Amino acid sequence: MEKNICQVYEAEIQALEEEIKVLTEKYEEIQQEYTSFSDEEILKSIKLFQREILGENKGYKSPSNLIFQLENLETDLLFLMKFTGFQFTSHSKKTLERTGNRTVQKNRLSGKCHSLSFQLEFQLTKMQENVSSVITDLKIMMESEEGSDVSKFVSRAEECRSLLKFFRSISSYAEWHEHRRNTFLHFK
Amino acid sequence: MEPGKEGLAPPSWRKQEEGKGDKPYGVLAYLEMLETQAHQEAVEQEKREQQKEKLAMLKARVRKLRLQRDKLREKVDLQEKQQPGKEGVVPDPAHPIAPRDVVEWRIRNLQALLQLFYLTGISGKPTRRGVCFSLSTAYEGTYLDSYHLELCTNPQVQILRHSIPVFIPLEQISKKYLQTDIRRFLSLLSDHLNAYAGRRHQAEQLEEHFSDQIEGALQRNSLYNLLIFNYNIPRNAQTFPFQARLLYGDPCCSLPTEVTVSCTPDAPASLVETAASHSEMFRCVALHKAFQSFNPLDVTS
Repeated sequence: MEKNICQVYEAEIQALEEEIKVLTEKYEEIQQEYTSFSDEEILKSIKLFQREILGENKGYKSPSNLIFQLENLETDLLFLMKFTGFQFTSHSKKTLERTGNRTVQKNRLSGKCHSLSFQLEFQLTKMQENVSSVITDLKIMMESEEGSDVSKFVSRAEECRSLLKFFRSISSYAEWHEHRRNTFLHFK
Repeated sequence: MEPGKEGLAPPSWRKQEEGKGDKPYGVLAYLEMLETQAHQEAVEQEKREQQKEKLAMLKARVRKLRLQRDKLREKVDLQEKQQPGKEGVVPDPAHPIAPRDVVEWRIRNLQALLQLFYLTGISGKPTRRGVCFSLSTAYEGTYLDSYHLELCTNPQVQILRHSIPVFIPLEQISKKYLQTDIRRFLSLLSDHLNAYAGRRHQAEQLEEHFSDQIEGALQRNSLYNLLIFNYNIPRNAQTFPFQARLLYGDPCCSLPTEVTVSCTPDAPASLVETAASHSEMFRCVALHKAFQSFNPLDVTS
């Protein structure tokens, strides 16, 4: 009899923990999507936060590993942007569906590769936590002339939803474009 | 022996008693039985108390989680009511956002941006010794396996570790570009890997969705640039009149450069014609998509 009550409690605990996880994710996601802070605000907050932890550090392990984490992430991102030439200027994602193993997210991304700007909208379906992702529905907005190389690979990429191919193509095109521009300037 | 019964010695002991005929043995056995009884009762009592404790703990945890969940629900409801406009959440002077929350927001923001690089095909992270790169592969909209390379940059650029399959000409590509142009090196490697992943994906899709049209298994090499198989159309026919041989001469391409589709020698002219048209098709359409077009009523993912 008591075992049954135990099991009932344990089942409820599991259900509650799951619900809390989902609610937290939902809250953080909306918070993430609708808030944005300028670079100055971020820098200011970092300084304030550092002062806070210095103040309250009473010998126990201080949460300055948050600052450590932040700095690492900034360094990693800076490296990638410099190395690949890709800069993402704005990004927003919204979860459209979350069932069991599957999550469908709508993403809006704008950025540039060297000097070429682009705007993307795509739906990303993830199964089993990033083991496999599928792009469904891809829209690419890029300034280009009709019939140019750029408009060709843009429409081909949209047709086949080949996001990766789009990024690779735009990367080589932008580099070639950059190289050509530099050569031209050199000879001016 | 049942504890709790009145201290009657069980028959077996009485036998012993009878055998010995002395009272002292009987008494000892009796005392032993009482001791065992008391011990067992103590053990049961402890079990019951542990159970009570456990139950109380579970109850308390449920109460705490319910509270947490209710608070979160309130927060989310409030969020939905607020319906922030385009400019974002209007800062409420009465509830300024704590610096810690801003820091956490920025951390999540950065993590999401870093994850996006995975979608671009080339991603990486500086390490103590150099850089660790991740090359992701995809076929159209489906992301497939990703491969990793750890490079050290001192004194020269060197590959420390990698997960590139052995049939990809890594050494050849490194010899050519690793020291002079890392970006080109990675780009070329990505092309090789993506083409391989694309060819493999097509073959796997073919085996997954059209296995009944293929005789046995696809014959192929590790690089998936040579495929040989016998097949038929329509489905469930008894024989496999067509033999296909696809050679993918360009390692950076996921379409074949040479296709031969032949028929059994006694095949009627119509089949021979079909074989020729298939040959053309396999050269310009992905393998699994070609088979899909042979079976227009089937739907594959």
